[in-house]
Amino acid sequence: MTILLKSLSFIDSKGIHKPDDYIFDGGSFVKAAPTIPKQIDQTLDCTGLFGSAGWVDLRCMACEPGEEYKESLDSLGALLQASGFSKAVLMPNTHPAIQNKNDIQFLKSKTSGWFTEAVIQASITKDNKGEDFTDILDLNSHGAFVFGDGLNPLSNPDRLAKVLQYLQKFDGILFDHSYEPLLALFGQMHEGLVSTKIGMKGIPGLAEEIAVKKNLDILRYTGGRLHFQTISTKGAVEAIRLAKQEGLSVTCDTSIYHLLFSDEDLQTFDSNFKVNPPFRDHENILALIEGLQDGTIDALVSNHQPQDIDAKHMEFDLAQSGTIGLQTFLPAMAKLSDQLGWQLLISKITDGPRRVLGEDLSSISSLTIFDPSEAWHYNHKSNLSLSSNHPWMNSTLQGKVKFVINRDKLNKL
Amino acid sequence: MSQLSTKHLLGIKDITADDINLIFETADNFKEVINRPIKKVPSLRDITIANIFFENSTRTKLSFELAEKRLSADVVNFSSSNSSVKKGETLVDTVNNILSMKVDMVVMRHSSPGAPHFLSRNIKANIVNAGDGTHEHPTQALLDAFSIREKLGDVAGKKVAIIGDILHSRVALSNIFCLQKLGAEVMVCGPTTLLPKYIGSLGVKVEHDVNKALQWCDVANILRIQLERQQIKYFPSLREYALYFGVNKKMLDNLDKEIVIMHPGPINRGVELNSDVADSEHSIILNQVENGVAVRMAVLYLLAGVR
Repeated sequence: MTILLKSLSFIDSKGIHKPDDYIFDGGSFVKAAPTIPKQIDQTLDCTGLFGSAGWVDLRCMACEPGEEYKESLDSLGALLQASGFSKAVLMPNTHPAIQNKNDIQFLKSKTSGWFTEAVIQASITKDNKGEDFTDILDLNSHGAFVFGDGLNPLSNPDRLAKVLQYLQKFDGILFDHSYEPLLALFGQMHEGLVSTKIGMKGIPGLAEEIAVKKNLDILRYTGGRLHFQTISTKGAVEAIRLAKQEGLSVTCDTSIYHLLFSDEDLQTFDSNFKVNPPFRDHENILALIEGLQDGTIDALVSNHQPQDIDAKHMEFDLAQSGTIGLQTFLPAMAKLSDQLGWQLLISKITDGPRRVLGEDLSSISSLTIFDPSEAWHYNHKSNLSLSSNHPWMNSTLQGKVKFVINRDKLNKL
Repeated sequence: MSQLSTKHLLGIKDITADDINLIFETADNFKEVINRPIKKVPSLRDITIANIFFENSTRTKLSFELAEKRLSADVVNFSSSNSSVKKGETLVDTVNNILSMKVDMVVMRHSSPGAPHFLSRNIKANIVNAGDGTHEHPTQALLDAFSIREKLGDVAGKKVAIIGDILHSRVALSNIFCLQKLGAEVMVCGPTTLLPKYIGSLGVKVEHDVNKALQWCDVANILRIQLERQQIKYFPSLREYALYFGVNKKMLDNLDKEIVIMHPGPINRGVELNSDVADSEHSIILNQVENGVAVRMAVLYLLAGVR
């Protein structure tokens, strides 16, 4: 299908280009001028809209199999598509975990009809417990090349070292949400002045920093490919920055919401702000921003973690962690756009994550086109997730995805 | 000012110095009432109060119940040991079921920090926090400050050392907020592992030597070791704690001044406080208990006024 995009402001690594007409045919994306091909299947008026290569989310969760009532694969597929994502990595923390070839086949068959391309992250240890390995090569032979225990850190140094070595056979990538569980024991939020004031057991930044530093030391010893997920601390940013300068094969991401919310938001004990890693203080947020700007942090993720009302509507320390984050991703970028600029933000959900996944950036096979300023009301009616655990529920947000094109499929929103 | 600025008493953090002084002035009157031969007044007649305790309590529950009965309120008691909570019922469901029976005020103790704040967003009744985990215990702080005021004439300008397990104490946090609002200087003292890392940011002095803390203060509020809230080991043994952080008579005798000793109870005698101090003329521990009833009467009476 050949699509003519009229008057689109395209954003790429070079910046925000002046509005122009473009032709996209699913494999190439070029300026329409000077000659417009005779065969145009669709013409989209993109006046006032921004566009970029299709967005990639490296961390989101479907709760199927096991907890389909929180987010089924069908609902996640619809949500990703409406939120502008043409590719997404699915976490393996389902029940059962994604840990054998049948699990992979199940996910493949359920996501084959999706508009968004699903990258299936396979568990690296059985039941994501950090102990016995899954059948890694067998899982790879069925298409898995991203491994990790998702919500759980691989904190045993021996397991991590062996995994980093074993994955080298097929250039597999280990995704790890690194923190030292014993330092985070019983913790509910970031440890700092606010946790002290509200009497809540804190999770020190040290829990993440020490694990990131330890894992970088192991990576230096083993070689291999390590991607840190949802880093949240100044210490982690600094350690990864040095490791990159040294030439280690390391990348990392952070959740976009960790730039927008801080521990101060928890003073009302609203469990929608309970996430892991916890929302940190302003010093850490500034370090994350610096890390995004200097290229230490490669990608922004939604860290979409659905929780039903019965898992959230309760005492803070008993509530489950997580927020949903796909449909609000563009509004989150809009809130950050004055501070960080659209060029940087878009690069962290296009080129950045594509590099993490080892993709060739020379071609564009998908596009996301959006209105950065259109206002809409986020409420239970407009929410496409089966869960509603987000602090912005029932508020007016700015930024709406208008078209998503993935190869020959066009979705008008 | 004759009315509180708040509908609930969730924590000292949320109320003003004027609120505290109003509570004290009202408590002065109620203290006079409870020392009369006929100790009861009809102030809360037709008001029903539910004491909902999801955590064990002896003196706080007794003190609230007595305060409610002295004010002629109708009282119902509920504790998790004989409730449907054990069957998996949620907090909101449990409380709403009780409120359906037309209850006007809820006094709640809960092990989760912020549980009364959560509840206040979901029910219509006035809520009094009777202790929420390691967060706040506002009426304890009020009765502590009231007792200091009674003993020393004023709280402003006084030096108060809070000694012991600060990390697991809701009494410590509420005391810090309350004493600071009233103009006192506050020090916390205990083993480093039992002091929150960022406690100094609250504007308190931090000390690890009990003798130095006693030397500095006008009032020492000794807190109990909260063994039931310590999920992991924070110090080697009770023996070592008693030797290095316990307060005994000899330590007080070595001071060049008289200080006031307080304790919110129950005391681990021989651990954080020796009997020769707990039962000495320095101690106002039993005055605290008596004042607890008067202060809680004042809180309930004033909150009923903003219903």
